[in-house]
Amino acid sequence: MPDHRTAGPSPPGMRARPGRWAAAMATLLAVAGFLAVTQARTEWQIRRTLRIPSTRLEELAFELREQERRRAALEGQVGELRVRLAEYERAAAEGRTAAVRLSRDLQELRARVGLTALEGPGVVVTLSDSTRPPRAGEDPNKTILHYSDIAAVVAELWAAGAEAVALNGERVISNTGVNCVGTTILCNTKRMAPPYVITAIGDRARLTEYLRRPGGVLELLAAFDFPVRLAAYARVQVPPYRGTFRFEYAGVSEKE
Amino acid sequence: MWLPVVGLVVGVALGFLFSVEIPLGYVKYTAIMILAAIDTILGGLRAQVEDRFDLRIFLSGFVVNAAFAALLTGIGDLLGLDIYLGAVIAFSIRIFDNVGFIRRDVLTHYLKIGR
Repeated sequence: MPDHRTAGPSPPGMRARPGRWAAAMATLLAVAGFLAVTQARTEWQIRRTLRIPSTRLEELAFELREQERRRAALEGQVGELRVRLAEYERAAAEGRTAAVRLSRDLQELRARVGLTALEGPGVVVTLSDSTRPPRAGEDPNKTILHYSDIAAVVAELWAAGAEAVALNGERVISNTGVNCVGTTILCNTKRMAPPYVITAIGDRARLTEYLRRPGGVLELLAAFDFPVRLAAYARVQVPPYRGTFRFEYAGVSEKE
Repeated sequence: MWLPVVGLVVGVALGFLFSVEIPLGYVKYTAIMILAAIDTILGGLRAQVEDRFDLRIFLSGFVVNAAFAALLTGIGDLLGLDIYLGAVIAFSIRIFDNVGFIRRDVLTHYLKIGR
């Protein structure tokens, strides 16, 4: 230390006011020593905990601020995305319930238009051509069943509240026509041959009562000696419609 | 004559005893203060060697220099400029000057004595 060395030899001029000088120097040295040690310790601690010298701290602080700003922006984005995710999830859930509802509706509609086999209580009407040989001079047409007879029976069944009707295993749907080509009866473009078995699901008592009413088609047919059989069952089955649906000219109207 | 050494030892001991944490923002200010103190100490030493030591000049030099350096540092922080480096350089130059003068004084003294 220079002060030690200069103090050591103690040249004559150096002790002008030795007490005040020494006291002032001691005070300042104490201050300097204290500050230096504190500073060194702080620096050492920074170095030890952060592993970087304090001269780089400003740069790092800037970097930190920048990263914090970016993080805040990203957090905002995360929040936004969470909200959107929740929306999507809700929409997906709604879509699922909507899909379930749609498929239920679809099932219901398929049953209503006749695309599914149905079963339930009902009646079975069996009609055949007349077994009686035609009398002399009688029109033989009067001893065979006509498509109009079948159509009339089907119409009566609908009128009596039948919910599903099948003719010889062919489902009668909304656009089913019973027609004839020559000597064969067509239903859903399928050829029919006697006996004609008409199955209908509905209130057995009502169906039977309505079909057997006086002046009904069955009474008329019986009067013409056609074998008519009407039986009620606790459980009858009608098959599904197997044909196609075509709308070549018809379009869905916007007006109700 | 041992008083200055005792002062230094006491200061260092106090520094070790009381673990005062300097906030990061003030590290620059304490560094400037330390430089100011070293500058003042060497200035005082030189004045003593040259036999023109004045307590008022000594203390006012320390206080004013330290205060001014701190002011410069503060302005530098405000402006985003490292103005305190100017104070550091000025103090360093003065410290080297003083060391040089002290060395010359001591050498002349010893050479005079040797003769």
